[in-house]
Amino acid sequence: MGDFADAFEFMGSHLGLLVSKTGDHLVLSGAAVGVSLLIALPLGVWLGHLHRGSFLAVGASNIGRALPSLAVIAVGIGLLGIGFGNSMLVLVVLAVPIVLTNAYAAVDGVDRDVVEAARGMGMGPLQVLARVELPLAIPLIFAGVRTAVVYVIATATLAAIAGGGGLGDIIYNQASYGLPGVLAAAFWVAGLALLAELLLAALQRAVTPRGLRGAPGAAAAVGPSEGPRAEAVA
Amino acid sequence: MTGALAQSAPVIPDFGGGSDSCVRRNETFCWDWFSSHWGSTFQPALLQHIALTAIAVGVGLAIALAAALVAYRRVWLERPFTLLSALLYTIPSLALFQLLVPITGLTRLTAEIALVSYTLLILFRNIVTGLREVPDEVREAARGMGLTPLQMLWRVELPIAVPAIVAGLRIATVTVISLATVAAIVGVNEGLGVPILNAIPTTFNTEFIAAAVLTIGLALVADGLLLAAQRILTPWARRA
Amino acid sequence: MDKRPEGGHDMRIGPMRAAAVALCALALSLGVAACGGGGDDNGGGASTTGAAADQPGKGKPTVVMGSKNFTEQFILGELYKQALEARGFTVELKSNIGASEVVDRALTSGKIDMYPEYTGVILSELAHQTSRPRDADAAYAAAKRFEESRGFTLLDKTPFFDTDALATKPDFAARNGLEQVGDLGKLSSVKLGAPPEFRTRFQGIVGLRKEYGLDNIDFTPLAIGLQYKALDSGRVDVANVFTTDGQLQGGRYTVLADPKNVFGFQNVAPVVSRKVLAEQGPAFAETLNAVSAKLTTEAMRRMNAAVDLDKQDPKAVASRFLSANGLK
Repeated sequence: MGDFADAFEFMGSHLGLLVSKTGDHLVLSGAAVGVSLLIALPLGVWLGHLHRGSFLAVGASNIGRALPSLAVIAVGIGLLGIGFGNSMLVLVVLAVPIVLTNAYAAVDGVDRDVVEAARGMGMGPLQVLARVELPLAIPLIFAGVRTAVVYVIATATLAAIAGGGGLGDIIYNQASYGLPGVLAAAFWVAGLALLAELLLAALQRAVTPRGLRGAPGAAAAVGPSEGPRAEAVA
Repeated sequence: MTGALAQSAPVIPDFGGGSDSCVRRNETFCWDWFSSHWGSTFQPALLQHIALTAIAVGVGLAIALAAALVAYRRVWLERPFTLLSALLYTIPSLALFQLLVPITGLTRLTAEIALVSYTLLILFRNIVTGLREVPDEVREAARGMGLTPLQMLWRVELPIAVPAIVAGLRIATVTVISLATVAAIVGVNEGLGVPILNAIPTTFNTEFIAAAVLTIGLALVADGLLLAAQRILTPWARRA
Repeated sequence: MDKRPEGGHDMRIGPMRAAAVALCALALSLGVAACGGGGDDNGGGASTTGAAADQPGKGKPTVVMGSKNFTEQFILGELYKQALEARGFTVELKSNIGASEVVDRALTSGKIDMYPEYTGVILSELAHQTSRPRDADAAYAAAKRFEESRGFTLLDKTPFFDTDALATKPDFAARNGLEQVGDLGKLSSVKLGAPPEFRTRFQGIVGLRKEYGLDNIDFTPLAIGLQYKALDSGRVDVANVFTTDGQLQGGRYTVLADPKNVFGFQNVAPVVSRKVLAEQGPAFAETLNAVSAKLTTEAMRRMNAAVDLDKQDPKAVASRFLSANGLK
């Protein structure tokens, strides 16, 4: 247990190091999440709106879950080499399926009667999407984003093996920082993931329309849990 | 301070290989290398990976089932257990493996504790939900037939919950297969993570492609087998 | 929180079911292939050859040997282990434990009894000595004194030495007039790739700064082995390499001279607990010394190349070398 006590001592004595590595870590994670959202959100929402491409969404969900992050990093190093940009691309590959599947399932799953009613009121397709489908789908879409963020923060640690920087630099360097340093960084990463989870949970509550609170969506707090739900649609 | 042996230069045998081999050129996939390393590297790693997964999911199922049965009867226990397992689920795998090393060492146990903790949330939620889905009329009818609570659980509630439980098992299994590769990073030398990790510094295509394909293949096969098992276990649920 | 089961109800039929059946068939065929696969190529080892028919190690307690985290160490571990086993000793090899700082902790805490180490690393990274030894023998003697002061000792050193060095692409060296490490000071910034521990080692950034005044290093930590990839792709300008690396053959990289000897003298010698040495009897040290004596630079470089470049198993490479030299 002495190692754990030393780990907390390390946090105190190396706070500057941890904070600066956390900064790198968040920049890498943020860039990866940003790119993933740009790719996956429009695609998922659009496919869901058309009720098409369930094969893509379901496939993304299944494959995404089966893809071992370490293997993706290995392939990434082989194909792309090392460094920040390449680590980021690897994280994007891992995050896109989560966001895509949830966005698809969320929009696709909006009650058809509601959509029909909106159409009956004379709304065009874009209006239906913007004023009916999206508001109703937001909790589930956001759940996917939340899962992806936590997953990327966790996996960015592994990316340090590919020169991605961040807190993984400490975890991989037991020789320099000792076991206490490695444990301190491990605690720190765990704390960071929990913090992100809690902040996003709060944010999710804030963006969820009042009438939908306590309804679905929160479920997806654990992993890409909406995948098989999309399967049922298939 | 050298003995008689040191006087003679070493005999350096021919280790094979050569500058023009598939391996030296690092082609996409060298079948010869793969087949000659199947028995020494990949087969043992695959079997270890299967063992790691089977134990983790088995133990996770036992714990989650016990907890779910308690929470099914004592509803107020559901929230604390969900929160605890959600907390475990959020901890990044590399961090959790690393934090367990000082306690349980570089052993299979370290890997299993972390992997089991990742199955709990998925399995627990699915089992509880599956049990809750038993329609009240069915429960009433069973009670009317004079079934004891234990009989009701075994003959009525659990069978009805099977699809939800298997759905959870499928996700848990695939997740564990993927996460088990991370254990190799902290030095638990078991499973398909080891060849993947070995291949990273050398960027030797054949090795990491083989290990990655085996890992993904294992996940897909396990998923298929569980689905098949569900079909067999719940013939009444078949719709065609 | 919502309690919807993950996965929900499965309503898929038809094609998905067919796919599942196909997967099972695949699993079966894989299983058959798995069962048909070969076994362990050189498992036992002890009783196979007549060259070492005497078994002085029979009945002695198990020795736990460790090795560090790169190719040469995997080979050394197998060489020493298999030679000992051929003479009846029982050895458990814990390969790939980590960098010296980590393996040393395993040694001093009693988790392992011995491991192969480089004399210069012992001096600067474990003993933290700042005086530079004048030659390989002085480095060995000082390292041995340090290990003996804490209950261990060094057996004979190998003829080969493997020092850390800085390597660069030949065209980069030519363009910037780089011949020795100090020349790097001419650049405004040097992108340097090395294993993570390089950051805090004297035989690393600390020594480069102190001895050569290099304070223009932009450091990228890399897993050992990746540095060649990083050099090739231009991700780093200079990389930390080992002089026995198989990759250095063929002139694809230029190694910078180290006139101030920051990287020291680095012959290998097994660090062994003195208690274990006494327990195992004289044949134990004799066996290990006989192996070390055969390890010339050429021999080590060829074995490293067989593992790093031809992707052979360290175990098989070590076995072939020992057999060829009558040590197994």
